[in-house]
Amino acid sequence: MAKRVISFKLNGVDRDELVLDNMTMVDFLRKQMHLTGTKRGCEEGECGACTILLDGKAVTSCTMLAVEADGHEIVTIEGVRKDGVLHPIQKEFIDKWALQCGFCTPGMIMSAISLLNENPNPTEHEIRDGIAGNLCRCTGYVKIVEAIASAAKIMAKEVAK
Amino acid sequence: MAQTRNEYWSEIRSVYKDPKDYVLAGRGNAYVRIDAEAKVTGTAVYTDDVYLPETWYCKLVHSPYAHALIKSIDFTEAEKVPGVKGFLTGADFPEGHNLGNPEAFKELADKEPLCRRKVRMVGDEVAAVCATTEEAAEEAARLVKVEYEPLPVLLDPFDAMALDAEPIHYPADQPGTANNLSIFTVMKAGDPDKAFEEAYYTDKSYYKTQEMVHAAIEPHGAIAKYENGEYTIWSTTQGAYVSRYWVAWGLGVPESQVRLIKPMVGGGFGGKLDVFAHELCPCKFAERTGHPVKCILKRDEVFKCTRTRHPISFQIESAFSKDGKLLAKRCRHILDGGAYGGSGIAANTLSLICATFPYKVENIDMIARRPYTNHPASGAMRGYSACQVHFAHEIHMDEVANHLGIDPLELRHKNEITPYYTGPTGLEFTSCRFKECMDACAEAIDWKNRWRYPKGSGQAIGMSGSGFMSGTGFPVLVTPHYCSSTTIVRLNREGYAVVYTGANDIGQGCDTVMAMIVAEELGLNMDEVKVVQSDTTTTPWDAGSFGSRVTFLGGNACHHAVGDAKLKLLKHWAEEWGCKPTDIKMADHRVFLPGDAEKNISYNEACYGYEEKNFGRCVAGVGAYNHEGDKDVYVKNVGNYATAYSFSASAAKVTVDMETGAVTLDDFIFGHDCGRPLNIRAVEGQIEGSVLLGFGFTCYEECVYDKDGRHLNPSFRDYRFPTALDMPNITTKVCSEYDEEGPLGAKEAGEGSTAPVGSAIGNAINYATGLVIKELPITPERLWKALREHERTGKTEFGGEDLPEKFANMPPLPKRYNV
Ligand code: FES
Ligand code: FES
Repeated sequence: MAKRVISFKLNGVDRDELVLDNMTMVDFLRKQMHLTGTKRGCEEGECGACTILLDGKAVTSCTMLAVEADGHEIVTIEGVRKDGVLHPIQKEFIDKWALQCGFCTPGMIMSAISLLNENPNPTEHEIRDGIAGNLCRCTGYVKIVEAIASAAKIMAKEVAK
Repeated sequence: MAQTRNEYWSEIRSVYKDPKDYVLAGRGNAYVRIDAEAKVTGTAVYTDDVYLPETWYCKLVHSPYAHALIKSIDFTEAEKVPGVKGFLTGADFPEGHNLGNPEAFKELADKEPLCRRKVRMVGDEVAAVCATTEEAAEEAARLVKVEYEPLPVLLDPFDAMALDAEPIHYPADQPGTANNLSIFTVMKAGDPDKAFEEAYYTDKSYYKTQEMVHAAIEPHGAIAKYENGEYTIWSTTQGAYVSRYWVAWGLGVPESQVRLIKPMVGGGFGGKLDVFAHELCPCKFAERTGHPVKCILKRDEVFKCTRTRHPISFQIESAFSKDGKLLAKRCRHILDGGAYGGSGIAANTLSLICATFPYKVENIDMIARRPYTNHPASGAMRGYSACQVHFAHEIHMDEVANHLGIDPLELRHKNEITPYYTGPTGLEFTSCRFKECMDACAEAIDWKNRWRYPKGSGQAIGMSGSGFMSGTGFPVLVTPHYCSSTTIVRLNREGYAVVYTGANDIGQGCDTVMAMIVAEELGLNMDEVKVVQSDTTTTPWDAGSFGSRVTFLGGNACHHAVGDAKLKLLKHWAEEWGCKPTDIKMADHRVFLPGDAEKNISYNEACYGYEEKNFGRCVAGVGAYNHEGDKDVYVKNVGNYATAYSFSASAAKVTVDMETGAVTLDDFIFGHDCGRPLNIRAVEGQIEGSVLLGFGFTCYEECVYDKDGRHLNPSFRDYRFPTALDMPNITTKVCSEYDEEGPLGAKEAGEGSTAPVGSAIGNAINYATGLVIKELPITPERLWKALREHERTGKTEFGGEDLPEKFANMPPLPKRYNV
């Protein structure tokens, strides 16, 4: 299988990486970059556990080839905490007990970031819609929705400051 | 044993904190999960994240036939794939070392690590491949050629029970004596025949539930290495010790040479209790190649080859007095066991136990049979049999209420279990707030005004009740070890404590609960308690996460361990200070005699002082807990099953689109008697997750098969469960009292909470549509068909239409439990 070098930004750092043409993004991140925070739940685009940000927008990394990242910016869950400080969404997930097994959590958080990037003041329905592609078998989503709503408020206050 | 246990405990109990002084378990539970930060930053390590240099990969070869003989296996083509390093077949494992659950009978260990001669379900594992990359292993697995000779396929459990059926496991002694039962259970009490004769009201109804799967988002998997003659496995297990037992047995090596580590587990729900080929094959390959070997299942393999929830067919007869007293119950439960036993065996007896409460019934005549079929093996699933049983029995309860003209809530109150009631088969109930649970739900949903939604109007509310064991005393997968929990707590003079717990956190948060119990008793902060997770080398024995036993058994073991350590420490200081151990308090990192400023030292000094006096020995405590039940419960079917029981009630508000049959769950109230909640948000989280499972069970989920036993929807696209958009708001009402026996007064909140969900939704749908739906799942398509047929013919009852004839024509029970 052919390989080629791609240039892209990963969690804020410019990188050149030699990748297999047919390697999915999730496998590239996990096996080649050892960034195992991005999870494999179904590998067919249905569960959202592998969600990452591509140029700020949530995408499922199992339905994307690593080579497609060439020239783009990728953020994974490992890149969300900045300078040791948790993102408000991460903080609210902790405080609201918005996770149990945690396997859906990285993908859920990436979708939530993407949602709040586009819509900083979502209604409950918009939050539910924003994470409808992320399956969670443990929580019933109640506390996840609560955590995202609360993070949105906190972030709005920060922006206002 | 009870005597020694009591003496030992009462001394330990004397130094426990007074509940009114609880800091963490009281006042708003303002502490967070100890694993939360790792989980929100992506650093939490799950099985697939365990990275060892030079890891190779394993893939399994599955049967495409539901029932067939294996004629030959040919690796010629597969061998040519670059990177392939080896193959395994059934012959690579010691013959006769089958996996399973010989609780009552040794034949119940019925699963070969890899099939040798026969496959019994689509997806049965027949061979394994090892290669340097996952992709190469996959390709090679595809190229393994297996020749089969197909056998007749049995998918209907009633067909499987026929005396002339093709035997799935046990060859018939003589033609026409086939016995495809994996187990059957008879439970009798009182004089049911007499009660039925004298009753004012009797009936006979049929219900049916479907096959669903656990669908934990983390797929099953394992990674193994072999060093110094020892296998080390990281696995997605719900019970490290029990898995270790079966892995060692399957490999034919002593347990001392197998170390099983449970890293973070991404949900289990019962699906990760059994031991599987994907755990055994990497071990074998690791031994042969010297490389670590990883095997992670793909989603379709999880669907097809792991475990499912038993579909159950019910025949229920009940006898009531005119004023609504439940006099007797006769029921027959047929559980589709699928191809193997494993953790599914206990489901049979449990289905009957669940039918004996949460209502008092003195006269019972119950039989459950679990035939083998060529479906995937049914196993344990959250709310183990209780979800199916309480669906059928609680829909039935509303039917009876409507026949008798008694309000369904009233009928439940007339029969509800009350504190310290002993059931007819020996269940010993203790604390019980069932009544309060029902009342809280009724009030929150405004039950008394329920007719504001007239019958058939497309909107309605429904209620139901249930109970569950809090900490089963019995193993799901029997091993020679008993079903206890053990914990060790070590106090460190540097200002912290370490808890070594075998309890298996699979997402429910028990590691956090253990840390909290220790922190609470020692007056430490949560981050000063370090939890060593279940690992058979570093942590003591625990039987696993099942039967809602973790908080109750594991929590009690942990409480006793920290109590043991605390008692030792306080005895030492009582001697130094000339007081009694019970006079000394531990709080805010200090050990002190209240009211005496001189006798007030730091936790560190206290530990140091103890060590100084004891030649450097550290303060350590050991605690254990088990339920003193009768191991033969599966044979005798009488006796007490758990040390405590939880109770719950549910109320659902639904809207049914009478045109399309689509059901919207508008509101859900859950009342739970879980004893003292150790963390209110954890309890709510368990309940909210239970509502999702219950809603999925009732309206969405079903595994569909073709006539050859092939799974037609093994993906999240085709097997739908509720998303965030489908789920309602959920209100939790904790209606608890302190349970005497529970750790810090707690009971269970993990499985019982799933049991009443389906029937509350089902009852609501029935009132909304004016129909009675007796079969799950109530999908829009099914409901639409029923509504249209009702318009055409006036028929009101739907589902289980095939059952009366099937139940009437069942063969008699065999003489012995098994061939
Ligand atoms: S793993 Fe990518 S969507 Fe499930
Ligand atoms: S927390 Fe387990 S899947 Fe969401």
